[in-house]
Amino acid sequence: MIKESDVSKIVREDILRILGERKEKVSLKTLREKIKVSHSFMFKAIESLEEEGLVFVEEEFIGLTKNGWDEAKDIVKKHLVLENYFKETRSKREAHQAAHLLEHYVSEEVINNIKKIFTLKKEGVSLIKFRSNEEGLITDIPSSDYKLFERMVSMGILPGEVIEVINTIPAGVIIKINNKKFVLDKSIAKKIKVLEYEKF
Amino acid sequence: MRNFKILLIGQPNVGKSSLLNALVGPKVVVSNYPGTTVEITQAGKTFDDTEIKFVDTPGIYSISNRSEEEKVTEKALFEEEVDGAIIVADASSLERSLYLTLQILEAEIPAIIALNFVEEAKRKGIRIDSKKLGKILNIPVIPINPLTKRGIYDLIDSLLKIKEETEFFRVKYDDHIEKAINEISSQIKETSMPKRFIAIRVLEGDEDFYKYLKDKRIIEEVKESLIEHPRVAEDISITRYGTASFIAEKVTQIVPLEAGRGKIQERIDNILLHKTWGPFITGLFLLVIFGILLYLGNSMQDLLMESTEILLSSLGIAEHSIIAMILVQSLTGVATGVSISLPYVFLFYLVLGLLEDVGLLSRFVINAERLLKRLGLPGKSFIPLALGLGCTVPAVRATRVLASEKEQIHTTSLFAFVPCSSRIAIIMGIVGFYGGARLAFSILATSLIAGLAWAFGIEKILHIKSEPLLLELPPYRKPLIKNVLAKSWIRMKDFVCIVIPLLALGGVAYGILDILRVTEVLVKPFSPITAWLGLPDVTIIPLIFGFLQKDLTGAMLLSVLDSGPSLALTSLQLYTFGVASTIGIPCIIAFGILIKEFGFKRATLLVGISIGYGILVAGLSWRIISIL
Repeated sequence: MIKESDVSKIVREDILRILGERKEKVSLKTLREKIKVSHSFMFKAIESLEEEGLVFVEEEFIGLTKNGWDEAKDIVKKHLVLENYFKETRSKREAHQAAHLLEHYVSEEVINNIKKIFTLKKEGVSLIKFRSNEEGLITDIPSSDYKLFERMVSMGILPGEVIEVINTIPAGVIIKINNKKFVLDKSIAKKIKVLEYEKF
Repeated sequence: MRNFKILLIGQPNVGKSSLLNALVGPKVVVSNYPGTTVEITQAGKTFDDTEIKFVDTPGIYSISNRSEEEKVTEKALFEEEVDGAIIVADASSLERSLYLTLQILEAEIPAIIALNFVEEAKRKGIRIDSKKLGKILNIPVIPINPLTKRGIYDLIDSLLKIKEETEFFRVKYDDHIEKAINEISSQIKETSMPKRFIAIRVLEGDEDFYKYLKDKRIIEEVKESLIEHPRVAEDISITRYGTASFIAEKVTQIVPLEAGRGKIQERIDNILLHKTWGPFITGLFLLVIFGILLYLGNSMQDLLMESTEILLSSLGIAEHSIIAMILVQSLTGVATGVSISLPYVFLFYLVLGLLEDVGLLSRFVINAERLLKRLGLPGKSFIPLALGLGCTVPAVRATRVLASEKEQIHTTSLFAFVPCSSRIAIIMGIVGFYGGARLAFSILATSLIAGLAWAFGIEKILHIKSEPLLLELPPYRKPLIKNVLAKSWIRMKDFVCIVIPLLALGGVAYGILDILRVTEVLVKPFSPITAWLGLPDVTIIPLIFGFLQKDLTGAMLLSVLDSGPSLALTSLQLYTFGVASTIGIPCIIAFGILIKEFGFKRATLLVGISIGYGILVAGLSWRIISIL
């Protein structure tokens, strides 16, 4: 359940990432094979990228401009950080899939936090162990159910974010992320891994 | 193997003992340290290559020799070799803890601040920048929570790295005091304690420290030179306290406004999401809403009915022409549709939109979650189910918010038991009018029980793994009327654009069938059903045509029964009729939207089974009632 407004952003970033990874011009056909969205979304994305001077279009091929390279590099880097991070706990395919989705949602700060967690090699504890008003850094969210994973990511519940437990109620746990409050089922909270985080 | 001796120091009730428990765990032998009236507790544990002996001291506010506790702590600090101290500080009253800290640092004892009660302080709107505090004092500051073991490992880490040689923070006293300190320092014997510290203690008048002086006459000398400042001891403690509060101010951030606002929000949540109050308030709210809806809806309905009747009679078309007949029938369809449903549907969606924008709806969803979960439904299905009380058609659309098709179908099937405004009109307007309010409510109760049984049954059969609750909790805020109106219109659009035209068509269809006298043909083959229901044969007409046009059910019942329903039907029959026409996917319009959502096959199955179930329940319940 990804918001429609997010889709065009995702398509744009995917195009830049693929061009960045291949380091050469890529045919429209290849892009379409890699990114499975409707043609109209694809064309709109390419058009807007061209307008912003990030890509150039030569007949059936698309390549990166100099500015485009800079943007693409950042996205590829993000993807790599995320993929490496998830490889620790997941299969290669799952890690790729998770990174693929997350790269579109994470901020610079979150990426830095993920790098930090990665180098610290610290595993978080289950969110359910946290009490009211305690804060932590999310190190992992459940991804065995991809739909749920996707939903959490699009809501902004992702590794590297600072999470605070507000309260525990019969229906679940009330948490706060980025000043937004959520209610999570206890079964989800159990699987969210959090590292105690000293923000003060 | 290194051996460390670490003192735990802090105010009374700052959590030293619980920190000791968190540090060494309950398995370690705790020994008492006798000799004084106030006892000291010791416990040791080995970390990596270091054995740390923790000494829990009595709670003190400062180092001086005024009380028994202070004497004991002072002794522990200075008369034995101590490798360091953990100062347990209270985040919500940092100043007081800092005073003690400054004294420890004057004694040049390597220290770590364990900042306790961080969460409590935060609740009061106090945030401590522990990193900044650590930088100012040049010692590690670690937020801890002994109960959750937060920060305990970091604390141990810092302990293992504790350095004896470091630059200790110094309180700067007034020039004349500093001068006196220097003078005394020069007269102090060689000891392990820093001279400056001893000098300060001496100036403060602590006689225990006089023994470190080479010549006690220095005290008199210094006192003479300080003749203009007779209260040196007080000056020292005031300066120290001033420094403590200055540092505390620097690292404390108070967020009263936002916290206060958040507090009110959280307080509302504490009540609305409470174990028992939450569901209670939710139920109460819904009852009040329906009360208001019924009242406002009735008055709006009266007004609309009157004006449509005037409109219809003013048309006054010749009665026998078929075209006129069709025209009148379709207009009647639209008119009843508009006048019965529109007030309820419109008001209902308005209130629902309002609840949503104020932030109450999501709380209701959470409260409903517990009940719905037991029926195998996700909490989110609360919204479509509530919408179903207006009109089934937009409610079916609203099931799209649910995650899986299974969940969607399960929730949709429940619309057979959630009476829409047209069905409420039958229950209240026909059954209630002719049979009394109790009869009307017993129909609602029957529908509820049948619905619960259905939901349980489906849950057992399909084994729906409903999606776990994951919902954003929006802040409470003032609603934007423009938004609410726009939302209500979007929800009503289906009703206005699809349902009302189809109501007209239904009326026309009924008119034509009536003219062709087909209606009576239907009566015979369906007689087993009416027999099962214990109803007169002709009642099959309003039951079947009710599917075309629910709002005409009442009128049709009146027209097929020669006399009024109260004479032609017993109250038990009235009840059975009510149940049979209430339970089930209500009308052909809802059927249409089901086809659109789930395909023809599944829609037909759902409608067929739900209506069959309704007839079954109706027949069974009147039999049960008559036996009783």
